[in-house]
Amino acid sequence: MDVIQTNSLTKTYDGKGGISDVTLSVGEGIVYGFLGPNGSGKSTFVRTLLGLLQPTSGEGYILGEPIGTTKSREQVGYLPELFRYPDWLTGKQLLESHADLCKIPVRQRNKRIEEVIELVGMTGRDNGRISGFSKGMSQRIGLACAILNDPKVIFLDEPTSALDPIGRKDVRDLMVYLRDQGKTVFLNSHLLYEVESVCDHVSIVHQGEMIAQGPWRELMMTEAQVEIVTEGSISAPFPPFITDYQKGKAEEGRTRWVVQLETEKDIPKILHHLSSRHIDVYEVKPINPHLEDVFMHWVNRKKESAYVDNQ
Amino acid sequence: MWTISKLTFKEIVSKRIFMITIVMTLIFLALYGTAIYFAGKEGAEVGDGGQGTEAILLQQFVSSQLLGVGLYFSSFITALLAILSSVSTISGEVSSHQIDTWLMRPISRSQFVLGKFMGLAFLMIAYAVCLFFSIILLHQGIGTDWMALNLQPMQLIKAVSVFAIQPFVLIAFGLLLSTRMTTLNAGIVSIMLYGAAFIGGFIEQFGALVEKTSLVNIGIIMSLVFPIDSMYRKMTILLFDTADNPLSLAQGGMFTSISTPGNVMVWYAVLYGVVAVILAIYSFKNRDV
Repeated sequence: MDVIQTNSLTKTYDGKGGISDVTLSVGEGIVYGFLGPNGSGKSTFVRTLLGLLQPTSGEGYILGEPIGTTKSREQVGYLPELFRYPDWLTGKQLLESHADLCKIPVRQRNKRIEEVIELVGMTGRDNGRISGFSKGMSQRIGLACAILNDPKVIFLDEPTSALDPIGRKDVRDLMVYLRDQGKTVFLNSHLLYEVESVCDHVSIVHQGEMIAQGPWRELMMTEAQVEIVTEGSISAPFPPFITDYQKGKAEEGRTRWVVQLETEKDIPKILHHLSSRHIDVYEVKPINPHLEDVFMHWVNRKKESAYVDNQ
Repeated sequence: MWTISKLTFKEIVSKRIFMITIVMTLIFLALYGTAIYFAGKEGAEVGDGGQGTEAILLQQFVSSQLLGVGLYFSSFITALLAILSSVSTISGEVSSHQIDTWLMRPISRSQFVLGKFMGLAFLMIAYAVCLFFSIILLHQGIGTDWMALNLQPMQLIKAVSVFAIQPFVLIAFGLLLSTRMTTLNAGIVSIMLYGAAFIGGFIEQFGALVEKTSLVNIGIIMSLVFPIDSMYRKMTILLFDTADNPLSLAQGGMFTSISTPGNVMVWYAVLYGVVAVILAIYSFKNRDV
């Protein structure tokens, strides 16, 4: 079953900004990355799913329940980007209040609170007032709130924005842990490495539009780059699937090349091509593209198609 | 809903402004008690041992006036506290995004608004009732026999019930504004309306004294727009039983009433508060936060 499903979900502010026409399905037990630069509409999308914003059009479901209903939020956790908690409460009191709202049975409450406090690395610091917490501690207690009710789906909106490198790693480990527990994590982030390191599926959003989505590995196969070591030179004419190439350093008669192919499927073809021209190949190594490159590829592709449409 | 009520109650209590109000209230009560004590002591020595007509009139005037002053000031600080605590209750949380983590829980918007209202109303009504009885106790207990008025238990119950309607209406109205306006705007609108109701009340009393219907009508219209001062006036009627008494304004000064708000006005004020809460729920139901 799809944990999250939206059909043309749109939220705009007086016809401007926000996010438009998002159709996606998020399966169970994955970390789903919602990737885009600041101001691209990621938070608007999550806040619309959680009923904090009213959709302008379209529809959405969480665990089969229409968004905006209390039922749709029963098994959901959320860490907002702009996390702010009542500073007159202690960390533990905050969790107790949320446990009340989630109707966690009194007998299980303390045990569960202790568990989540330990999971987010706040043991021994939960009895302090939130007013005395650093931003990182507030974000950690926010994470504890988000997972307190053992939700099936957890929305994390820029969950590492206030954390140091150790804290960021802790959160990435926590996301993997939650996924391994069968939970679905919907990660909003503009940090490419964060998405790259934990996400199974990714949507790329730009200027309020979703421009690509799919399994991370498939999205990465936009263009394939291979590093090839040959004896002798590669020379024209080139087959059409080679879109670009760069000559690297030559040592002991062997030359290193970085060749750009249309897709990953063209790797066997280039080997075939080189052997047909009697060029000895000593090494072929695929180069994984960086998320930046993938992101920019999809952004540029969207811009090009928009340009063609306008023409 | 009760969790939100509990949190709202605790939040107000934890605020510094509430602690300051409590300390200032205690100072006010101490000053009031001192004034009552000396007024009672001095008053008993004036006149023919309190037996002559002049002495009785003086006792009635001073005693009811001092009780009226105490209750008017109590009404004023209760109103200010009710306004200041209610106008920020939703708008403040929306602007800080603190509301996000509450509203994403499986509670409806109406439960959230009602929870806020219950927490605030319970606290402010409790404060108003405590203040009311503190004034009565000081007046009747410290001011010697000369100062004491003949107040029956039923009179007190009725009067305090009407006195408590004021914070009820103010909180409901403040909450309604808070669902749509910023804290500052909602505060300005509430305080201006409170001031207008206050002035309308005096105009009505003056109109009744000089028998000018147009002035009385201005006061009535103002009471319909914001039924706060009329509740104070009704409370004094119930307490001093001065309605239709030509001496009542002279007896009680400007802090008691000569123009009588009817029982319908009491029900109108209650209905006004209930409608304001319903409108607050409706207004907040579909708004973006």
